[in-house]
Amino acid sequence: MKKVLVVDDSLSVGRELSKIITGSGEFEVIGHAKNGAEAIQMYRQVHPDIVCMDMNMPVMDGMTALRTLVVLDKNAKVVMVTSLGGVGDKYTEALKLGAKGVISKPFLSDDVLKTLRGL
Amino acid sequence: MAVKFFGQFMVEKGLISSDALLKAIALQDSSNLKFGETAKSMGFITNADIERVHNAQRKEDLQFGDMSVKLGMITQDQLKEVLTKQKNSHLHIGEALVKVGAVKAEDLRKHLNAFKADQAPYVVDKVAIPAGVPDPAFAELTADLTYKMLSRIANLTIRPGKCVVVQRLDDNDTVVDMKMSGSIKARYLLSISRDVQNAIARAILKADDVSKESEEMLNDTVMEFVNIVCGNIAAKAAQMGKTIEIAPPKNIKAKGGIPAPVGGIGLLFPVFVADGRIEVGLFIEKA
Repeated sequence: MKKVLVVDDSLSVGRELSKIITGSGEFEVIGHAKNGAEAIQMYRQVHPDIVCMDMNMPVMDGMTALRTLVVLDKNAKVVMVTSLGGVGDKYTEALKLGAKGVISKPFLSDDVLKTLRGL
Repeated sequence: MAVKFFGQFMVEKGLISSDALLKAIALQDSSNLKFGETAKSMGFITNADIERVHNAQRKEDLQFGDMSVKLGMITQDQLKEVLTKQKNSHLHIGEALVKVGAVKAEDLRKHLNAFKADQAPYVVDKVAIPAGVPDPAFAELTADLTYKMLSRIANLTIRPGKCVVVQRLDDNDTVVDMKMSGSIKARYLLSISRDVQNAIARAILKADDVSKESEEMLNDTVMEFVNIVCGNIAAKAAQMGKTIEIAPPKNIKAKGGIPAPVGGIGLLFPVFVADGRIEVGLFIEKA
């Protein structure tokens, strides 16, 4: 079962994403980081297969963390889950930096699982 | 279920790959010259002029064309000529996708129509904004998207009230504050009563009963709602050529109310609901 790290400063999003991901029976959520800095630290510790990460977070935002994660691991599979998905510049910047997908908030469970299954 | 741009829609529908989108955007970047480059290609300005404009823009917030006029490099007529040339030669993302072979030319109209239908719920409806408000179109889209999200995400039956200019936003059970920067510097404020907070929490947590949720979780759902609203406002603003950055939302205590910015303007959009109270504030800082 693929291991997923959820990164979002929102408790409610963390809970909702975990419910969708774990409920599928195909993935296991192995941690919830509250910002980009925690995500990098946890990535090193738990070596997730997939990272689902918000863009707009305190301490360290998702784009900065994405830049670091792809340097740490060029095969890192990071999906951005963000309310800023519809901003063309943000969407394309994430893909250029190495994100494997961008999911807009509010998200549907089918969209989340479809993206994760495609990785 | 959100404001999107055409390339994103195509990727999400599985009609093109992310790589194809990036290729098309790279083609756009190389084809769509910026104002300064276009003006230079028309013989109106030089590289040294471009540098002078950039330096001046560091001190004053003016668009490149307006600054070149202000500095006496080009005339108003030349400004119009450059803008017209830019508009007429602009390569749109759909055309770029055809050029890179990701979409067949004969299918483009069909895809554009499907995109238009997908985004129809997010077409901005008219909201009356008081006279004298800077950038009323932005205030209008902010209010309208908030109304749409209150209805569609929080499942609330609402009736928008008349927008008024205020000196302060009153306190309420929950007030969430999100700072916006970029083309417009403003604070987006959502002030709601407990009943509305519960409705938002039920929607965000997809739960029928939130009575056992902690205060922290209930407040978090409102912050997430504001995050979604403002993210979609930024997306819609980008379609209007504006860059809006948003900071993480904050839950604030507003004893005595939140004052409008000095020299700026405080807009209040009251929203009527059967149970509870909603006020949306857009506090725009002095330009």
